[in-house]
Amino acid sequence: MADSDDEYVQDISDDEVEAHQVTRGAGAGSRATGQGSRGAGWEVTRTWENVVEGADGTISSTVDGLLEAAKRKRLLKDTTPLQRGIIRHLLLILDLSLAMSEKDLRPTRYLLTLRYTTAFITEFFEQNPISQLGIIGTRDGLAFTLSPLSGNPNDHIANIQKLRTQEPIGQPSLQNALDMARAALFHAPTHTTREVLILFGSLLSSDPGDIHTTISALVSSHITVQIIGLAAQVAICQTLANRTNPSLPLSKTYTVALNEQHYRELLMRATTPPTTTHSISEGGGVRSSLLMMGFPSRIVDSSPTLCACHSRPTRGGYLCSRCSSKVCSLPTQCPACGLTLILSTHLARSYHHLFPLRNWKEVNWARASSSDQRCCFGCQTAFPERPMGASTLRRQSFGGQTRDRMAMHTTRGKPSASKHSVKDVSMASVSKDGVSESGRYECETCGRFFCIDCDVFAHEIVHNCPGCQSREGMLLAAGAENGNEMVILAEAQKG
Amino acid sequence: MNAVDGSDHYTKTSDEPPPSLLTIILDTNPHAWALLSPTLPLSAAIANLLVFVNAHLAFNNANRVAIIASHTQRAEFLYPLPAQETSSHTNGSAPQNGFDNDVEMADDGEPTVPPLSDDANHYRPFRLIQTTLLTALTTLLKTTPPSSLTPTTSIAGALTLALTYINKTTLSLSTTTSSTAPNADTTLAAETAPPALNPRILILSVSGDLAHQYIPIMNTIFACQRLSIPIDIAKIAGDTVFLQQASDATRGTYIKLDHPRGLLQYLMMGFLPDQTNRKYLVPPTAVGVDFRAACFCHRKVVDVGFVCSICLSIFCSPPEGAICLTCGTHLQLGEYGGKPVVVARKKKKRKNVEDGKGKDAT
Ligand SMILES: [Zn+2]
Ligand SMILES: [Zn+2]
Ligand SMILES: [Zn+2]
Ligand SMILES: [Zn+2]
Ligand SMILES: [Zn+2]
Ligand SMILES: [Zn+2]
Repeated sequence: MADSDDEYVQDISDDEVEAHQVTRGAGAGSRATGQGSRGAGWEVTRTWENVVEGADGTISSTVDGLLEAAKRKRLLKDTTPLQRGIIRHLLLILDLSLAMSEKDLRPTRYLLTLRYTTAFITEFFEQNPISQLGIIGTRDGLAFTLSPLSGNPNDHIANIQKLRTQEPIGQPSLQNALDMARAALFHAPTHTTREVLILFGSLLSSDPGDIHTTISALVSSHITVQIIGLAAQVAICQTLANRTNPSLPLSKTYTVALNEQHYRELLMRATTPPTTTHSISEGGGVRSSLLMMGFPSRIVDSSPTLCACHSRPTRGGYLCSRCSSKVCSLPTQCPACGLTLILSTHLARSYHHLFPLRNWKEVNWARASSSDQRCCFGCQTAFPERPMGASTLRRQSFGGQTRDRMAMHTTRGKPSASKHSVKDVSMASVSKDGVSESGRYECETCGRFFCIDCDVFAHEIVHNCPGCQSREGMLLAAGAENGNEMVILAEAQKG
Repeated sequence: MNAVDGSDHYTKTSDEPPPSLLTIILDTNPHAWALLSPTLPLSAAIANLLVFVNAHLAFNNANRVAIIASHTQRAEFLYPLPAQETSSHTNGSAPQNGFDNDVEMADDGEPTVPPLSDDANHYRPFRLIQTTLLTALTTLLKTTPPSSLTPTTSIAGALTLALTYINKTTLSLSTTTSSTAPNADTTLAAETAPPALNPRILILSVSGDLAHQYIPIMNTIFACQRLSIPIDIAKIAGDTVFLQQASDATRGTYIKLDHPRGLLQYLMMGFLPDQTNRKYLVPPTAVGVDFRAACFCHRKVVDVGFVCSICLSIFCSPPEGAICLTCGTHLQLGEYGGKPVVVARKKKKRKNVEDGKGKDAT
């Protein structure tokens, strides 16, 4: 702390000088040290901008609206016929320069970016199960590989987590980062996309040479660049986005995030694989087709043999399931017979979108006491007994964390306890989004009761119903296994 | 066993590796065990398993165990059981008690003696597990109707149960120790926060043919991947493609037992170390992995399949009428070998150039 105070005193005279350079970092420093109170006040006014009072004088309608909107969006997203069969090569470029320490996005641009990037990685691989992602960082005028191109989200997330302990420093170099991205994408097979996504917080780029030659090189290698700005529009980014995406409007390729929510939306937009309609319009290529793919097995030879893809001696590799050529990595195309080779585990990553788990129903006290299920089928935790004051006792027995989780869990959003009591009657009868009064949630397929933790976990992470999976006769019944329902999409498209 | 008096919890520092939760999935398919009985009868396997479980618990006083039966058509908890199903409530809550004591010790630094008394010759937690497991297993086998005997086993159900149990236990621990940061999203916190518990899953598998459960098994594998829970496989008999993939995807250990009689040896040497210890060991695991998939239409295991470019469903042969059975999209059958879409024709030239370069260089 003492250091920053000194800095503040010393820097006062330099402030004007720095202001003429493009640095925004100086502003951030002074605010953080000297004018903390003003900074905080500014934050408050900012959050209010987004909140509109409802007719009843509360903001709950706005909150509800946001939750509803998010839910609807999710539903919409899941039914759009996306081409998950696309292999994308995406390089994410993160600006790690001093400008990222600004606090206009809470907590800071830097930390928020790290958090959103983690979510982005997970989402990207869920939407594009057979794609490849790489991450490049730029700071101090240099670019460096944060995470090399690979199809394993865990590696990327681990590498992003390492950044948490570091500080943003120096100035970014777009040119270095783009050159690095171009080199990484150079070997991407021809039938895949080559994309670069830049999260750019600075208003300048400190480059060793002429960035326009780099942009021309990108154009000639068919690399498309999308940019999300965090500060303001920058001319060079505009040029970059325009030249690498000649057919797309600038609003789709270069956007400046207005707030945290908008930033997240912009980032998540980039995870969406091109829709079918989009690819048709793009130039009459293959529409929806049946692809023949091989699921090769991994082998380890006792002595090195040459791989078919690079002619390098390697011991490990995958054997093409059609012609038994050895390739180094997946997904790829067999160099000998042209068969697309992928890992079946990559394909399976998106199957829960096809067979989503049906929502579980809240159980009222009447139903709960008529059943002899006294504990959660999934985790063996005993359910609360029917109490005198239902809601309070249940809360206690499940601990404070559950409540927080429920508040955050948008699909069953119930912002406040007070609201619940007002709407109690209607929610008990309709109760589509509500919280179960008995703390039990019932899978209608297998009739088992679960606690809220298992409900959230089953629907958000594992996408299986534990009850349906261990039901007598389950393995014989073919269709409605797992309590999952086939996406209605099929009927929608036929009709 | 020295850990029993709780003294080493007193000196525990914060950077000590967290205790581990071992979830064992025991494939109890009677058919498969009957076939195995000349070499390894079920009773012997259970005896070996109990020794292994005891060793796991003795490692660290806070270690926990859960045992789930993956029966022919259902999955069931064998240990721990909910309170009212066992004779007295002490059985069910015993592991909870054990842990609560540890938490208190960490908090106030006052080592309390765990409440164990009755039998001087048999460490009480061990005995609890033994009786609960044997009772539950006997009940399970007794209540199996002959009609439900199939050559398969409900691994997917057992894995899902294991995951919900692990999830709940982790949650309850992170609230009591309040070590997780409350700022991040729930899922994010679960993925990134330092774990209060080191969970892992061990499957003792004796039967094959899991293709019917392909999708649910894959779902559980991805959940394990996200939560970094390794799935260890001790393959005693049978042959399954998907368990191999499960252990590979989650970085677990896969051992095919050449000599089932030596089950205990395999368990002790291969599966006892937890994630923390495995960093310092070279785990004995399968090198080659079979990555075949199951088709959606007949649940056949295939190595070359037809994949819908929209939804990625796998079919063993082009579906009838060229309509995807899952998403209903009309598919073009023209070019089977079709590449996964996208990007211009111009690049063909480039590719040749690159290829040429590559060959020159090597
Ligand atoms: Zn190679
Ligand atoms: Zn081939
Ligand atoms: Zn539960
Ligand atoms: Zn169910
Ligand atoms: Zn088939
Ligand atoms: Zn389809």
